[in-house]
Amino acid sequence: KLPGEYGDGVMVKKYSRDFLLKFSEQCTDLPDGFEPTSDIEEAFMIFNASSRESH
Amino acid sequence: SAKPPGALISQQHPLEHSWTFWFDNPSKSKQAAWGSSMRPIYTFSTVEEFWSLYNNIYAPSMLAQGVDFHCFKNKIEPKWEDPVCANGGTWSVSLPRGKSDTCWLYTLLAMVGEQFDHGDEICGAVVNVRPRGEKIGLWTKNAANETAQMSIGKQWKKSIDYDGPINFIFHVSLSFMLFLC
Repeated sequence: KLPGEYGDGVMVKKYSRDFLLKFSEQCTDLPDGFEPTSDIEEAFMIFNASSRESH
Repeated sequence: SAKPPGALISQQHPLEHSWTFWFDNPSKSKQAAWGSSMRPIYTFSTVEEFWSLYNNIYAPSMLAQGVDFHCFKNKIEPKWEDPVCANGGTWSVSLPRGKSDTCWLYTLLAMVGEQFDHGDEICGAVVNVRPRGEKIGLWTKNAANETAQMSIGKQWKKSIDYDGPINFIFHVSLSFMLFLC
């Protein structure tokens, strides 16, 4: 078995932790066009920050 | 000058699978059946999309008590009733309240980065935020495949830098602890 393969020899897109961490600071905005609905907004920092400011 | 169509996509790093974040706060609807308050947040398929979401979502230590936060492969619901999960199991680790953030991130990175030899056996992961602490669970597809389960358990412990015991529970028989790792 080679690096980048599952056991059956199928190639997969593998990324190490260190490689993935390099992109963290480049991606700080929510995905384009994505607006969380009210039933999930408590998970998002931006909504809770604005909520605190408004009270 | 205008970028050609698809230019942005081509600069991104595609993941092997698409993954969906799910959010559930059942404490807000105590009368409802389990799972009825679970909501998909967003399905991502690139490294960049992952961080765009992760960087804007609270880490487990900042989520409200009672919340369950999931990251599952697209089209697999984080429910034992889902056909893909029905014969699987869960590796789990319990951590003190507020101490799971790094383990949760490293679990996500190991999953979306396909760092498991038996990654095709993985359904997703969940963090349960509770008053006494947080529990991270790694859901698998086929609990009867002991070789795959043990490999996943060992590689998960290594990926989250965890030295303590983790246990595996078979979904079909929740009271039965099948493996220790």
